[in-house]
Amino acid sequence: MKLTTKRALLKGFLDMLPLCLAVIPWGILCGSLAIQNGFTAVETQAMSLLVFAGSAQLVAIELIAGNTPLLTILFTTFIISSRHFLYGLAVRHKVINQPLRWRLPVSFVLTDELFAFSHHRKAYRTKTRLIYALSAGFSFYIAWNLWTLIGILAGSLLPDLTNLGLDFAIAATFIALVIPGIKNLATLATVITAGVTATILKSHGFELWLVTAALIAMSVGYMICRLQVTQEHKL
Amino acid sequence: MMSTILLMACITFFTRYLFLHHTLPFRVGPKMQQFLSFSAPAVLTAIWVPIVFVNEEGINLDWQNPYLSAAIAAIIVAYKTHNIYYTTLVGMGLFLILN
Repeated sequence: MKLTTKRALLKGFLDMLPLCLAVIPWGILCGSLAIQNGFTAVETQAMSLLVFAGSAQLVAIELIAGNTPLLTILFTTFIISSRHFLYGLAVRHKVINQPLRWRLPVSFVLTDELFAFSHHRKAYRTKTRLIYALSAGFSFYIAWNLWTLIGILAGSLLPDLTNLGLDFAIAATFIALVIPGIKNLATLATVITAGVTATILKSHGFELWLVTAALIAMSVGYMICRLQVTQEHKL
Repeated sequence: MMSTILLMACITFFTRYLFLHHTLPFRVGPKMQQFLSFSAPAVLTAIWVPIVFVNEEGINLDWQNPYLSAAIAAIIVAYKTHNIYYTTLVGMGLFLILN
């Protein structure tokens, strides 16, 4: 193996490591909640292996356990997953010239977490960058499945994890990813708008809260960018 | 139940793969690209802020809310250090103490 390949593999793993650790509570919860709701061990693990989407899995487990009609389950999965369309659009120009054997695995592991590492200008554009992304993406995949397995094994032995507030680990890592990236007024306005809108929409139980809040915030950032450009032209 | 899981897998994969499909006949222009450059801070923030403020009863703006104090500490550390490990450790540490 070439040295650059080794370095890219290691860097991908190390960059993703804090996020892999931050989802321990969620992964364990996904495993144990499914077991407690009557899923078999195989079904539970298959969900993490194939669906590989934490928030969609957690919601679906509750819906399936509540005998919700299949179409409702699938529609809800679609709504929760619809943010991935944004990720695909945002990285399209970087990935699209790569052959299918790279694009397929990249899209399979294109989670919120991997997307957070996709902003670099050259991301996905070189072989080393692709190896880096796949290393980060698949180490997260393996971690997610390991935590699910632990949840399955612990199963009903575990107390109710939902009220321990362990979801704060996700918030802390996302803060670490977002805050250093705020380098101008447009991004600051995007972040503030996203936070306020998402909080209001989610607390009102609006199902499309995440994508709606993101689109509104992105529009605000974009408009500020355009305004700044026109003002510079006037000067 | 396995068929439900398989269908769910198809949906999540479809949402992730669609715009990385080669023959989809469009290009993302420079304006669209600029708009999309805000997607990472927008989506990630739209995920973490409600974790801090929203609970079953609604919006929690109480200063006693451990999520809020720990989040403020994490924001300060993230701003000062740009380090994901320090940020998570300080945030989680303070959160566990307060909680």
